[in-house]
Amino acid sequence: MIAMLKAEWRKASSTKVMWGLVVAAILFACLNVSLLILLRPSAARDLPSGALLTNADYITNIIGSAGSSAFFALILGIIGMTAEYRHLTITATFLAAPRRSQVLVAKTVLYLLIGAVMGAITFAVSFALAIVLLASKEHAQIDGGQAMQILGGVVLGYAIYAVLGVALGALVRVQVAAVIGALAFTLIAEPLLGLFFDWAGRWLPGGALRAVLQATAASGRGSSTADLLPVWGGALVLIGYAVLFGVLASATTLRRDIT
Amino acid sequence: MPHGDHLHVTGLTKTFGRRRPVHAVQDLTFEVASGRVTGFLGPNGSGKTTTLRCLLGLVTPTSGVTSIGATPYRSLHHPLHVVGAALEASGFHPARSARNHLRIIAASGHIPDSRVDDVLGIVGLADAAGRRVGGYSLGMRQRLALAAALLGDPGVLILDEPANGLDPEGIAWLRSFLRNLAAEGRTILVSSHVLSEVQQTVDDVVVITHGRLVHVGPLDALTAAAEVRVRTPQRDALMTALADKCTARVTDHDALTITGLTPAEVGTIAFRAAIELHELSAASSDLEEAFLALTSTINNGGAA
Repeated sequence: MIAMLKAEWRKASSTKVMWGLVVAAILFACLNVSLLILLRPSAARDLPSGALLTNADYITNIIGSAGSSAFFALILGIIGMTAEYRHLTITATFLAAPRRSQVLVAKTVLYLLIGAVMGAITFAVSFALAIVLLASKEHAQIDGGQAMQILGGVVLGYAIYAVLGVALGALVRVQVAAVIGALAFTLIAEPLLGLFFDWAGRWLPGGALRAVLQATAASGRGSSTADLLPVWGGALVLIGYAVLFGVLASATTLRRDIT
Repeated sequence: MPHGDHLHVTGLTKTFGRRRPVHAVQDLTFEVASGRVTGFLGPNGSGKTTTLRCLLGLVTPTSGVTSIGATPYRSLHHPLHVVGAALEASGFHPARSARNHLRIIAASGHIPDSRVDDVLGIVGLADAAGRRVGGYSLGMRQRLALAAALLGDPGVLILDEPANGLDPEGIAWLRSFLRNLAAEGRTILVSSHVLSEVQQTVDDVVVITHGRLVHVGPLDALTAAAEVRVRTPQRDALMTALADKCTARVTDHDALTITGLTPAEVGTIAFRAAIELHELSAASSDLEEAFLALTSTINNGGAA
């Protein structure tokens, strides 16, 4: 398994996809931090000028901006798996590991680690930017304990989302379909379902992710935490989806002929 | 020196699709011996690649079994040390360098990284190893695929159309390279849709068409039916000397076409009878014709 992890790491690190997505996640989180600090969200229009940054919840919201980039971890996992089919390197992969589910296990472990590191880096950079931008302004105290809690949520959320991407990629195999499907589901279908079925939101991947990133949602981003599962519940739901996709893939797509 | 296992294909049948089934391979049985180069021949779409992919555990047979020695590929513990395969020239990530492509395979096969530069040198890609594979020519991709197959120093090599895209120099190199590997006791299976491409390389041939076996055995047996062209001013004397040993057909006032003897045998007979020869040659296209005759029989619903 160590050998396969080494091979998977070499696959991931020898193209620009992983680095590009990490950079994209960081940039998106930083954009989020900058906008929240430099502009006024329309929802906060009624607050007196200057009061925004002295609101502790608003500051927590800024610190949690890394959570908004979690989608890039999902894309990373999807591409990590589907690139093998797209470029036919799956042939060489299965020649070296004819017991195919080992490949899925190795990728799962590796992307769990990559996702965690990606989350930690994204949090660190966006947190540092927030401190720099807030330095010259009057603002509420940053709660160190809460920041650590947010960091934990981001690391866990990114890690599980990357693994979910791997499992989804194993099941769907076609890169474009998997990426567009994931986008369409989380950005269109899930919010739509949430509109009509209040109870469904927390059980869907996006809702479960918000539960894992709970610290950010607690600060007023999106829905209230009352609609969400506890952190461990959200993590279990996400892992459940990943296991479901992975088991389905092992029983179907992973067994298919490589021609 | 790694000794090659024999390859076994027994009763192999593969049907693709359910609604409109394609019978890619039907009840195919043959063996491939070690220490020899075996040509796996058949026209395009005859089931060669499907058979090779079944041997390598990439395609699950509808029925029948394949094995490397006594072990199915999927049960091998360190497959890359037993079998090296080069399947098609397209299985590379275009953004990766050749060296990184091989380092990935090396890692997954418990092969030391130092071996990567060894095989790059063997196939003549050492200078291009750091370049993106996306910019490689077809010939360079073929060499890279061969390098990947050689990584684990396996006793068995399975190569699908390895001469495609190689220049004449490359083909000549490949030929002597494979001969040397076979001489070391390895098992070499090389597929091709053109007999002439491999006829100077292979010892044995397995010929299939429409997914069925039509001929298996030494290459010589295929050429036995081929013709020998002779030009001599003593045509009638030569005909008498050859008499009951073969079939000779008069094609010109000084020319004969002979079937049933090799050029060497005809030469010996002529020499012993002190007959002057102006030309003695195997009608090389006729080997191809023998091959075509074999592979087209089934097309007409003939021998099955």
